[in-house]
Amino acid sequence: MVRHARSATSPVVKAAVAVLLGVAIIGALWVPIYAHTEPKLGAFPFFYWYQLILVPVTAILCWISYLLLRTKPARQHRRAPQAAGRDREGMWR
Amino acid sequence: MNHLDGVALTVVVVSFLIVTCIGFAAARWRPAEDPMHLNEWGLGGRGFGTFVSWFLLGGDIYTAYTFIAVPALVYAVGAAGFYALSYTIMVWPIVFVFAPRLWSVARARGYVSPGEFVRGRHGSQGLGLAVAATGILATMPYIALQLVGIESVLTVLGVGGSSGNVFVRDLPLILAFAVVSAYTYLAGLRAPALIAFVKDSLIYVTVIVAILVIPARIGGWGHIFGVASAHLSSVNPATGKPYGNLVVLPAGQWAYATLALGSALALFVYPHAATGVLAAKRRDVIRRNAAMLPAYTLVLGLIALFGYMARAVPAVNEGVKAGHGNAQLSVPLLFSSMFPSWFAGVADAAIIIGALVPAAVMSIAAANLFTRTIYKELFRPYASPAEETRVARLASLLMKVGALGFALELNKTFSINLQLLGGIWILQTFPAVVIGLYTRWFHRAALILGWAAGMAYGTVEAYQTSGGGQAHFGGSAAPVFGHTTYIAITALIVNLAVSAVMTVVFRRFGLQDGYDETRRADYTADAEPAPAAVAPAAGGTRTPRTPDPLGRR
Repeated sequence: MVRHARSATSPVVKAAVAVLLGVAIIGALWVPIYAHTEPKLGAFPFFYWYQLILVPVTAILCWISYLLLRTKPARQHRRAPQAAGRDREGMWR
Repeated sequence: MNHLDGVALTVVVVSFLIVTCIGFAAARWRPAEDPMHLNEWGLGGRGFGTFVSWFLLGGDIYTAYTFIAVPALVYAVGAAGFYALSYTIMVWPIVFVFAPRLWSVARARGYVSPGEFVRGRHGSQGLGLAVAATGILATMPYIALQLVGIESVLTVLGVGGSSGNVFVRDLPLILAFAVVSAYTYLAGLRAPALIAFVKDSLIYVTVIVAILVIPARIGGWGHIFGVASAHLSSVNPATGKPYGNLVVLPAGQWAYATLALGSALALFVYPHAATGVLAAKRRDVIRRNAAMLPAYTLVLGLIALFGYMARAVPAVNEGVKAGHGNAQLSVPLLFSSMFPSWFAGVADAAIIIGALVPAAVMSIAAANLFTRTIYKELFRPYASPAEETRVARLASLLMKVGALGFALELNKTFSINLQLLGGIWILQTFPAVVIGLYTRWFHRAALILGWAAGMAYGTVEAYQTSGGGQAHFGGSAAPVFGHTTYIAITALIVNLAVSAVMTVVFRRFGLQDGYDETRRADYTADAEPAPAAVAPAAGGTRTPRTPDPLGRR
């Protein structure tokens, strides 16, 4: 059995999530931003420490997006009967 | 380098035996009333919460690719190998966006594999078959990569390798693989899910210790980068050019970006990634994990740096040279020359178990694809769940044999190419699977033609690419309009172009659309939060689980 989350995500939230995740992807994809030796962090060329720092940054951006998109559990409707034939799942906890 | 290290080998064997016990015991973990159902064998009961999923997905997605192939590439060519870090950074935002939709529709419709979704969504058996066949084909070289990873550890341990006889040489590997096949056969996805806890713990311990200990022992990061830089700028006698660079040069940036993007897009359509995602209990589990799995990306980044550490240890360089320039030995050699024997054993066990977990999940994923999309669709439409499970178990065994073939046939100098080759193929299912999650604008027949065009183009291009000492299938990036590009991306563009043009043509001629069995609400569906006492409807054979007395899950 499944329930359907209330699809009440506002366009503003969706746009915000798109920007957050877009920043993470572009940050990794746009190689000329970080293909430099300087500035170094300790012995690490920029190329390496930039990417290593982008990892936790991406995690944080994903977490913020998760919080923004989280919907309140809403029990709406049960599955339509005609679809039940394919439902071999039983119950889920 | 082939002297037998008794202590390390003992630690590895004991770890392997412990993991084997866990694998067999997993059949009794979270027992199902009816284990002979594909939801149970193939998806672990679809009940993994955030915690278990984190271990399973981490253990499933970060493979021997991470532990052996990437550092080997960095060891040999430097910065270009770091595309893997860029790839595993952007993969999580991508999973965050697409995976919840796939999870929801699969949960609502009872799909266990992407092939079934495509068949149901586009109303096209042919397209479902194409996706399933591609998934199976692309998974084989990826499992083969796991075998190559295990092999390189065994070689450094002094096991096998020394005999000229192929069978004797590969015996430990075949033996280990047979054992894994046995418990995967018995316990299904529960086995790798439970073993993933051991794998991930060992990997984290190994990486943390290595990062704390090794740089201090070999003269600090300044020295490590210095040695790497000196090596990379020296001229490779084979090509007459420098080995590589410490920072990607402008000429290499296009290849770097397309390899990263292509791999990231491909990962999500790989059957084993989909299996890990579909085994989640709730929709939220996936998004939370997208935010927490980058912890493993950090590990990948640090392991990639092992390639530079290995370059700064003369014993490793000698060992690699003695191994006919096999750079994949660099990480195991680094462990054996930097750690005391017992901890080198722990680290080697981490890599071996780290390769076995994804190999198991991949064979299960391919088996799910085969059973539901090929066997049931073509041969036995009325197969019972128990029959499906029996077929899937056998299919998982066959997958492993096929992967052995791949591992023995293809060039092993850069095993990373096995993963990139799989990526070229699997990415051709992207339009049908991922774009299909959002729109049915593409006509089903056009998607098949696009897929065929992408597959043909990608395979021919890869075949024509020489490298690593072989004339064909030697690399995965080829020049297009003057830019070296990951073939998967070019092939995907060909695929999309053909699909779009043919869609317009077919619509113009009024060719009939397929029937879409999914509904709009399916794409946002979530699991019922409370235990509902509803028995499955017709066609279902599962009875509700008995409540777990320990209150787990």
